[in-house]
Amino acid sequence: MPVEHAIRATGLTKRYGDFTAVDGIDFTVNRGESFGLLGPNGAGKSTTMRMIAAVASRSAGTMSVAGLDPEQNGPEVRARLGVIPQQDNLDEELSVRENIIMYGRYFGLPRRWLNAKTEELLEFAQLSHKATARVEDLSGGMKRRLTIARALVNEPEILLLDEPTTGLDPQARHILWDRLFRLRESGTTLVLTTHHMDEAEQLCERLIVVDEGRIMAEGSPAGLIRDHSTREVLELRFGMDRNQEQAQQLTALLSSGAASADGAAAEGRATGDGGVGVGGGGGVGFSHVEVLPDRLLVYAGSAESALEQIHAAGLRPMTSLVRRSSLEDVFLRLTGRTLVD
Amino acid sequence: MSTDRLTAEPELQQPVSPAADKQTMAGRARRFGALHQAERTLRSMRAYGTVILFSSVSQPIMYILAMGLGLGVLVGEGGDFAEYGASSYLMYIAPAILASTVAMAAGIEFTFPVMEGFKWRRLYYGAQASPLSPGQIASGHILAVSVRFGIHAAIFTVVLYLFGAISSPLGVLMIASAMLGGLAIGLPIMAYVSTLRDEKGQMSLIQRFVIMPLFLFSGTFYPLTNLPGFLQVLGWFSPIWHANELGRVLAFGQPSPAWLILLHVLYLLGITVAAWLATVRIFTRRLGLEEWRGRTPGAKADAKRQDRLAVKDAADVDRSAGAGTATTPDSTTPASTALPRIAFRRGFGANYYSGNIRAVFGRGLTAIRNNRGVIFLSGLLEPVLFLTSFGLGISPMIAGVDAEQVGLGGGGTISYAAFIAPALLAVSAMNGAIFDSTWNVFFKLKITKLYRTMMSTSLGPVDVAVGEICLALFRGGIYALGFIGVLLVGGLIDPLAAVLMWCTALFVALGFASVGMAVTSFMTRFQQMDWMMMVLMPMFLFSATLFPISVYPAGVQAFIQALPLWHAVELMRDIAFWDFSSLTLVHIGYYLVMIVAGLALTTYRMKKLFLR
Repeated sequence: MPVEHAIRATGLTKRYGDFTAVDGIDFTVNRGESFGLLGPNGAGKSTTMRMIAAVASRSAGTMSVAGLDPEQNGPEVRARLGVIPQQDNLDEELSVRENIIMYGRYFGLPRRWLNAKTEELLEFAQLSHKATARVEDLSGGMKRRLTIARALVNEPEILLLDEPTTGLDPQARHILWDRLFRLRESGTTLVLTTHHMDEAEQLCERLIVVDEGRIMAEGSPAGLIRDHSTREVLELRFGMDRNQEQAQQLTALLSSGAASADGAAAEGRATGDGGVGVGGGGGVGFSHVEVLPDRLLVYAGSAESALEQIHAAGLRPMTSLVRRSSLEDVFLRLTGRTLVD
Repeated sequence: MSTDRLTAEPELQQPVSPAADKQTMAGRARRFGALHQAERTLRSMRAYGTVILFSSVSQPIMYILAMGLGLGVLVGEGGDFAEYGASSYLMYIAPAILASTVAMAAGIEFTFPVMEGFKWRRLYYGAQASPLSPGQIASGHILAVSVRFGIHAAIFTVVLYLFGAISSPLGVLMIASAMLGGLAIGLPIMAYVSTLRDEKGQMSLIQRFVIMPLFLFSGTFYPLTNLPGFLQVLGWFSPIWHANELGRVLAFGQPSPAWLILLHVLYLLGITVAAWLATVRIFTRRLGLEEWRGRTPGAKADAKRQDRLAVKDAADVDRSAGAGTATTPDSTTPASTALPRIAFRRGFGANYYSGNIRAVFGRGLTAIRNNRGVIFLSGLLEPVLFLTSFGLGISPMIAGVDAEQVGLGGGGTISYAAFIAPALLAVSAMNGAIFDSTWNVFFKLKITKLYRTMMSTSLGPVDVAVGEICLALFRGGIYALGFIGVLLVGGLIDPLAAVLMWCTALFVALGFASVGMAVTSFMTRFQQMDWMMMVLMPMFLFSATLFPISVYPAGVQAFIQALPLWHAVELMRDIAFWDFSSLTLVHIGYYLVMIVAGLALTTYRMKKLFLR
């Protein structure tokens, strides 16, 4: 019987004693989709992943993975999953090739079939030349690729990736993203957690932003940015102790010049929830100013024009940077905190 | 003089952070760096300070009760220790036991923590970033361990004194000789370990091929002269022997020529100094400017194996390329066929057991093959060494064991070697099973997290637990086979008994492995493993292994009879001497209960651990 969704969770909750790691979240992952869980450390992402992977029990709620309850059919659910944990837990006592073969044996797959499959996976992970090497002689990126190749040995329907590229250099990251992209195109459902915005934007079609065990927002990366942030951001540094007073000055300056219609408040957070208003007046489209310890973030439709206005008013920031809004800004907007600390 | 001024100055001005004066800081580190490092090591030892103190108190008591009084009863008739200056067997062995326990501690303190410093937790690289010199890091560790030895030896000596095992006030100096002995055996090992980049079973090799033989042939429980000549030579090289003899001279004035006493001191001092310097040198090479990363043991063998595999690979690719010239695209990436169906058990316990124990077992075999076989085979050496040492060394002091006394029918006496051989087999089965199901399991559980990986596949907790226990049995089976072979050749048992004893060894190992694994699943830190050793040690000493249980009063006997090892020993003896009774069934029943209870608890814990 074909099941439309790959994963469906309702009221998913996990408590450890008094501590609630996951606080009644609902989400659905469709087949063939790439789905992201975005949030800071300790938001409950990994715990959610563990519950999907049938290695953690639920405190409340229901969950179905490929139409099965992971708590009732652990081995059968895990047979359909490929799990890539946060830290590579390769078997250091085995060679690169043996790592994949043994892992396949854990699924009860026949050795003869595994021999051929392993070569194919080594090729995929660009590790064919390292087949007989010891695991500890591999570089960080190679280990990560081997972990992924290993997780593919049972041709999983759903691939769970916990922080897949954390700790890798940019080049290794791009190789990895490329491999994951191919998997996505071949129809594998990807579920990944990350606190890297660029990764989420690259890999996820749809994501949920989680914080303190609750879902803060849901949507596509572009949609989330559209809904919760302005098009552009202006980053300014005035020096540590001057940021706060400058923020009020900037808010006053930019909101008077722009959407005077609704007379936006002069506080740090300007417009209320329910969409960030992009008042067209003056072409700045100013929304609000966020104060971070080391810098100010000015949210505006056109950051370039905002900068011009600021210069025109005689303010001289030490540095300024114009960039497009990212998921980082969405998270900041939703929680008042930055993602990577 | 100048230091006074430097430290006084800040007080005149406003309070300045002590970290502000870099020169003083560097100067202090240059002078006292080793002490800082020692303090760090001692502080980290405090985490298991209770275990250290407890063992310092309990070890002498255990040895006094077991060897001094227990074995002493047997020895008392045949041996006379007056010629050595001791008034009893207990007095004779007391200083040697102190030296031996210090040597054993050295075997731990100079191996694992060093590996931890360089590789497992890279603690030394933290110290390297401070003004400490590599030599100070090395010396700091050595100093801290010496302090540990000193505390241990002092407590030990007090306990011995309370039991009247020391007569001369000079006995206090035993502390120094024991410490020196510990350093003399430990420092060369530390020097070796600090050259290692990777641990591939070297620790257990050192334990089995270095420390054990040096301990067993060091004349701890009998005069070295009891041994045949070639084994005596081994004793002369053993720092433990020198420390033992020195301790005996100090404790009860064992008559020795002055040159020999001097030789003992010089030998121990010589090794200590030379190995200390060597260790400092190696630390300097490794943590200094050279950035030498150390040797990878077995690297050559590995490279050879990889070359061989690479050649085989190339041949495979050639062959498939040759065969598939028509379909070239397929030749590089062998197109795999569709995924075979992954089979499942359904029904009872399907969530916990997927019927794939074979894969877990197979992984273990592959890992054993990849590690070097010599480590694996070394396990069978231990019981042989024990048998040689006790059989040859103590036999001259004991006429034989009265069959009546040990509860065997038939009357007459049996040789001491024949008496202890079945017991040693039981002990070796226990040790093997416990080692595999505790240390190895703990490592895979907490350090390499292998079980977590296994649990992300379709394996269930029961597959993992049973697979690991099978592996422990496999090892145990091989070890027992070697030892039984030696017994057969030595004519101590007949072939039928040999077969039965082998099966019994597996049976006993299963009991200990399942309980051991259950206990390990509760452990969270390495230090807790020491408590486990604390239980095993007295079990070995008291369970009628080296002397009959009848030497003890009835109350103590009942306690010993409640312990699992006693049942294993008795079961083995029943088979070896072909003397069965209704008690035999009790022994078997005891182990059946252990197996069932152990397996049930293990499974329950695995579920708890992996399906939280």
